[in-house]
Formats: sequence, structure tokens, C-alpha cells
Amino acid sequence: MLKVRNLSIFYENALALNSMSLDVNAGEIVGLFGSNSAGKTTLMNTVAGLTLDLKIKEERKGGERITVTGQVNFEGADILNVPPSHRVAQGIVLCRERHPVFRDSTVDENLRISGYTRTRAETRARINQVYDLFPHLVRLRHRRAGLLSGGEQQMLAIGMTLVAHPRLLLLDEPLLGLSPAMQGEIVRAMKDIRQQGIAILVTEQYARPIFPVIDRGYVMENGTLITSGTGMELMDNPEVKSAYFGM
Amino acid sequence: MFASILVNGLVNSVILILTALGFSLTFGLSRVANFAVGGLYLFAGFAAWIFLRILGLPYAVAILLAIILTGILGAIIYQVLLVRVRGIELSEVIATFAVGVAILETFRWAGFVTYEFNLPSFFKGRLEILGTVIDYQRLIVIGVGLFLAVALWWFTHHTKIGLGLRGIAQDEHTALTLGIESDWAAMLSVAIGSALTAVAAVVILPLGIISINVGYEVLLLAIAVSVLGGLESTVGLVIAGLILGYAQVLTANFLGPQWMLVVYLAAIVTVLAVRPSGLLGRFKEIEERV
Repeated sequence: MLKVRNLSIFYENALALNSMSLDVNAGEIVGLFGSNSAGKTTLMNTVAGLTLDLKIKEERKGGERITVTGQVNFEGADILNVPPSHRVAQGIVLCRERHPVFRDSTVDENLRISGYTRTRAETRARINQVYDLFPHLVRLRHRRAGLLSGGEQQMLAIGMTLVAHPRLLLLDEPLLGLSPAMQGEIVRAMKDIRQQGIAILVTEQYARPIFPVIDRGYVMENGTLITSGTGMELMDNPEVKSAYFGM
Repeated sequence: MFASILVNGLVNSVILILTALGFSLTFGLSRVANFAVGGLYLFAGFAAWIFLRILGLPYAVAILLAIILTGILGAIIYQVLLVRVRGIELSEVIATFAVGVAILETFRWAGFVTYEFNLPSFFKGRLEILGTVIDYQRLIVIGVGLFLAVALWWFTHHTKIGLGLRGIAQDEHTALTLGIESDWAAMLSVAIGSALTAVAAVVILPLGIISINVGYEVLLLAIAVSVLGGLESTVGLVIAGLILGYAQVLTANFLGPQWMLVVYLAAIVTVLAVRPSGLLGRFKEIEERV
């Protein structure tokens, strides 16, 4: 479904991603692990098209020079120069890190804004599905999103991406800063989302909470791929085990 | 006396709110402070005048064309000038201010400076409310103000494009991940703001003549209302319009009409000194730091 090949990204002369390759197959949950500044967010933003958008805007005003080489394929077509809105229409939807929601709008409005690329009827049906997935959000629907707790905002943020109707969902550190109970809730939701046939690429600094649900994983450091494999294979690597599983 | 202040203050307030509406909407939706507002206002007025008097089109058609044309001019200003300096606020202000002055001075150069430039009232006649005589054109101004308030609320809360624009306004990157195009949205917000300024122009200008100075006054007024109310707050805009509108009428009644323009300046200076983010606005940066 998603094939990333030899993707390298420079911000001016700083290397953010070094010849990174990665695959996500239909119906899989794939983990991408690494510490801060490993390049996880850069990879996610590049797959979603935000890097392209930034590159165009920086070029226009003569700002930072961003260089992208390599390939990003989605269902056989190269999408490296496809604008983000078209990628959303094709089914690639990113949930950025730190629970991004529209803070001044209500929960319900956030979900309706998210149906921008879809028809009104489709959006309404999907919003109901989100309320089924996160029943907790139902009684908060008229509250402003900025007043929700971190966990509630994360549920909403994931719900928003679902309204956009993804086939490949990119979750950037969805568990960051959440309580263990709330982390469990998000991991359960990830399983439900996969049941709907949506593939997930998820990044985390710490692998343990999502380890039970991932099919495969990749480990990155300083923009470079260190190792990859099934969950069990990663666990057998002693360095990976101590750094990302805390064992 | 009291009734006359009440009625005239309301009319005056709605005029101010309507005039500043386009400026405030554009800023609220895309953070572009469109200081070309004075130029756009006069552009709409002169365009309507040309369609009506030179081309002899029906008044309603002339007005409609002027509004659409001003919206298109706004879109062109965005595409040609603003797109390259997007996000550099100072450059945006300089660019739009320069365009506004260029439009105004072009009209001056082209000789649009005599008293023959005026638009007729939509309907002739007047009405008596609470013992105060008020002409129909002023009632139309109030009607259009109310209509636009409802229409804009509905547009930004219940249409896909309006919701998308509000998304972009709040968090551009998140909006991008949901498929909302930021360039298109910003262009649209400048175009809609320009068209709203044109609506204000064509309903308000029949109350007086179309002169170059009106353009500069509109710019000052839009800044005053927006600064007082808080730049992105719609409720703030309405409250600021009411405060300034009544303050002006009171000033004109008790101090003399020559002091009316001072009200704007006094309001700007006072608000900037006491509460720089406006009555209802807030500085997001501070909020985020807490």
C-alpha cells in the first residue's frame, strides 16, 4: 500500500532523514520507533504532504531550502509531488503529534470541519461512527475542544482523521502525555480501526504500550533506519529491547 | 434629544460595523490584515458609479457587478502580492497598505475628485421612529448589517467551505492534514472580505458623496473598530462598533461634529495603552505559553 524508498530530506544542510525505506501493507498496523529527533515526524509529514507544502511556501518567500530525494509510493503511484489535499482525497490522513484539534470550535464542529473532502451525508455517517468508537465524546460534543483533557483531545483528533475517511492512517505519537488508562483506550481504538480495514502507521518513543497490536515495526535513530521486523524479532534485539521496551 | 441619540447612534454604529466587517472577517479567517480596505471601498463605489452613470446599467446590476468585481480584485491582490509574503506579517501590512494607497491615488490622478460622484438612494423617502426622522437608506444599512451578521454566522458554522476556513484560521497544519488547502482558503478569505467591504460601500455611499478622503477614513475606522474590539473577535467587532458609534453621536451632540474623527484616534490610543489585545481579543502566543 505505502512504499517509501531511499527517502532523504535536508533542511538547508541538516540531514533529517537518511535514505529511509519502509512499507505498510493493507490492513496492517506498523510501528515506527525512535527517540526525539530520530526523524519520525519528518517521515510522517512527508508521507502526508506537509513537507511538500512547507517546501513550496519556503521557496516562495526565499526562506529555508528543503531538499527531498527518493520515492514515496501509494498504491503504485509516486505521490511525492501530490499536494496534501489530494493525498487526503486518496485516503492518506495524518493525525499530528500533541493532539491537534481546533481549540476554539466545539467537538462537533471539529468533526464537521474534518469532513471537508467528503460529502455531507458521508460526513454525518462517519461522525456517528466516531461517537460509537469513542462514546466518551458524545456528552462533550458541544464543549469547546480547547477545554478538553489531553486524552479527550487525542480521541477527538483521531476521530477527526476518521471523518476524513482514511485508508492509510498516520498516527504521530498518539500516546504522548496520556495516562495509562487513556493509552489503553487509544490502543483499543487502533484495533477497532484496523478491523474497519484501515492500515495504520504509528510512531512512538516507547514501544511497550502499542507492542501488542503492531504487526511489524521499524526502529530509527538520527534519521537512519536501525532495524525492522515483526514485534518478536524486534524484542530479540537486545539493544532495541532495552531502549524501546525498557527491559 | 434622547430618542434622536438612540436612533442615530444605532445607525452610526451599524455603519461602522458594516465598514469594518470585511477587514475583520479577512483577518479572522486568514490572519491577513488587509489595509487595502479603504482603496477597495472606494473602488467598489466608483465601479458602481461607472456601471450606473457611464454604462447605463440598472442600479441593482451595477451594485452587484461592483461587489463581484471588488471580490475578484481582492483575490488578485492576494495571488499577485500576498502569496509570496504570506506569514511575514509586516510585509503583508506594507503590501496591502501600499495597494490601498495606490488605488486611492490612482482615482485622484484620474480625476475622480468632484461632487458629481455620488450614488442614488435605493428608495427615496423617510420614516419617523420615536420622533426622529430617518430616511430609508439608513434603514437599509441596518437591514443589510443584520442580514450579513446572520448570513456570515450561517456560512462559517454550517457550510463546508465556511467550516474549512475556520479550521485553517485556527490551525493551518492540522487543516492541511484534513485536506483543506491553505492558499485557496486565504485567497477566498481576502476575496470575501473585499466583497463585504464593497457591500458596505454601495449601501453606505448613497448617504454622502464618493470622495478620495472617504477611503482614508474607512481605513482609519476599520483599524479603530478592530483594535477596540480585538482583531479576530466578531462579538468584539459588534461591541466596538456600538461603543464608537454612540461615542461619535454623543461627541457630535455635545462637543460639536468637528470632534467626531478624534473619537477613533482616542479609542485606538486608549485601547492600545490599556488593553492592547482589544476588549475581546487575546494574544494567542500568551495563551499558549501558559
